[in-house]
Amino acid sequence: MSLLNRRGLLAAAAMVPALALGTSAFAQSEVTITHYFTGELGLKALNEQIARFEADTGHTIKNSPIGHEDFKTDILVRAAGDSLPDVFSYWAGARTQFVVDSGSLHPIDDMWNREGLDDVVAKSVADSATMYNGQRFLVPFNYHYAGMFYNKKVLADAGVAELPSSWDEFLAVCETLKNHGVAPIALGSMHRWPAQFWFDYLLLRTAGPDYRAGLMDGSARYDDAEVHAAMAMWKELVDKGYFAPNSNADTWTDASDKVARGDAAMTLMGTWITGYWNGIGLTPGEDYDFFPFPAIAEGVPGAVVGPVDGFVISNDGGNPEGAEAFLSYMVSSTDVQASWTDQFGALSANVNVDPANYNDVMQRAFATVAAAEVFAFNYDLATPPPVAEVGLSMFSRFMDDPSMVDEILAQVADDAAQAFQE
Amino acid sequence: MEGDKRFWRAVLLALPLAVFAVFVIWPLASSFYYSFTNWNGFNPDYDYVGLDNFQKIYTDKLFYQAAINTALWMIAAILLPTALGLGLALLIDSSVPGSAAFKSIFYLPICLSAVVVGQIWVWIYQPDWGLLNTVLEAMSGERLRYAWLAKPDTALWSVIVAWSWQQTGLSMVIFLAGLTTIPEDLLEVCEIEGATTAQRIRMVVIPLLTPATVVVIALSVINSLKGFDILYIMTGGGPFNSSDTLAMHMYNESFKKYLMGYGSAISVVLFLIALTIIRVYFRQLRKVDELYG
Repeated sequence: MSLLNRRGLLAAAAMVPALALGTSAFAQSEVTITHYFTGELGLKALNEQIARFEADTGHTIKNSPIGHEDFKTDILVRAAGDSLPDVFSYWAGARTQFVVDSGSLHPIDDMWNREGLDDVVAKSVADSATMYNGQRFLVPFNYHYAGMFYNKKVLADAGVAELPSSWDEFLAVCETLKNHGVAPIALGSMHRWPAQFWFDYLLLRTAGPDYRAGLMDGSARYDDAEVHAAMAMWKELVDKGYFAPNSNADTWTDASDKVARGDAAMTLMGTWITGYWNGIGLTPGEDYDFFPFPAIAEGVPGAVVGPVDGFVISNDGGNPEGAEAFLSYMVSSTDVQASWTDQFGALSANVNVDPANYNDVMQRAFATVAAAEVFAFNYDLATPPPVAEVGLSMFSRFMDDPSMVDEILAQVADDAAQAFQE
Repeated sequence: MEGDKRFWRAVLLALPLAVFAVFVIWPLASSFYYSFTNWNGFNPDYDYVGLDNFQKIYTDKLFYQAAINTALWMIAAILLPTALGLGLALLIDSSVPGSAAFKSIFYLPICLSAVVVGQIWVWIYQPDWGLLNTVLEAMSGERLRYAWLAKPDTALWSVIVAWSWQQTGLSMVIFLAGLTTIPEDLLEVCEIEGATTAQRIRMVVIPLLTPATVVVIALSVINSLKGFDILYIMTGGGPFNSSDTLAMHMYNESFKKYLMGYGSAISVVLFLIALTIIRVYFRQLRKVDELYG
């Protein structure tokens, strides 16, 4: 009798995988999605947009959010195991190019044309973010702009009446703030990436976008005079004590908190900082504002830096129709776009979203991007991942000991050249 | 009936073996296989590159840095929890007031996950408001903002201290168990013969604790080889790779640089190092077994 029971148990155990297979066969209208919009980076806001999609289309979403940093690893593990979800969020630029080159993504040209997304997505964003190897793979969900965000009260208390638009003016503002007893600049480079905006802007404002593109694709070297010049300007800022100490010990939110509290005056960060600050009770335009990174060399095209967050469809997903419906809906729905960009602190790639939906600060960020001659992806999205690893470590090594800049650049030039070959 | 029993024994043994094969042997074999390729993790197409990945290890400065850090980690992981655990066990065994409470308190950290321990120590080391700098400031009277985890010369040691804090409780409990096996009358004889406390500990207690010490060192070595999670939480191998261990270096090369083939080659080398250490260790263990039964 007991043997029979055990056999029954084994039979039941054998049934479990069979039932699981059966369940997945019924779930064709379910779209599986993995994304990195978690915690302070917008999980609640995204869940609201997913609920809108489910209510309007009848599809259901199986949602697996993963923390921003862990996502980079998780998606690779899933790709290696042929278990990518139908849809995943990804950063436009070199990272998407890497996945496209690996043959893991489903092209969306047909869906793009069928849904008329040419009339929805801003052409500048579509040209730079969606096309890879002559085909479309990514639908932009939002984009960001990196600017100098500052605490209005701190600047006012220090007597800074006019915002700097040139490098000399910027240095003067830093000196005024320092003399007033406040750290002029906060940087949270514990996870390395926040430091990249300094390198990006200093290089773009001195050597220009064309040279920078060459450095990103390996045709220029990190020991070139252009890179040395940009790093020398960064070093000057550190040497003069304009950065709050121990930037490598702080995260980007630690640095943002320092500015919010008034311990530091400014931080060079993406527009997602507005979502973070609004979430902790700061009022845009009253408590904080931003100004564009100052111009440095004359005759250099004005460039802005930022990432584009998008959604892509994996090749081995089981529901491409549902996945395409999700991508199209998320960028086309002006309700979704207005709500998402407002809560997340991002800019919409949908041209039909009325800029009046943005708060005062974001409206000016939108206008700054619209007026820029070049929209450049930030460093770790502009150069291949193995090279980006070398560069990101360079930035934190530099922040630890700027006096080593020449040795650091010589080393990085060799390491990056090798990484480009891998 | 006997045949039936044999059948079920085979089934019950086959199940764990199948789990072991899927989760240990298969990934291990895969790592060996991929270490001879240039696979990037995403692309289904890759080439066989022979021993290129292993040759690259010879010229990889970060690998040498990681190997030195791994050796330091292992030595510290053996010495610190063993010495501290023995000291605490001897103190608690001497029936100080509240020894039962102390035992629980010192053992508590081992019940926490490495992620929790790592995060607690990240806060302790925080340069602006962390406990360590606050205490040092109170003692010295000077404003101290030392970033323990963000400086290359202290990052690894700071993590080792946190790791030892967690592991010491385990060593202490094993030593306490060992102390109960030492006959009371033997210690009394020592006392009657006029041996000092230090002499008793050095010449009687520590030699008789050899079996417990062997277990403590074994666990320390095994746990230190697995010590990835706390390092990942506290420094991620940074700043700029200064606290990388071989496991962290393997992770960075595989998952951050997308060099899965090279990462696999590092994992093969790490596996061979671990295998060598464990073989040497088991040989010593057998000798101890022969001595102490």
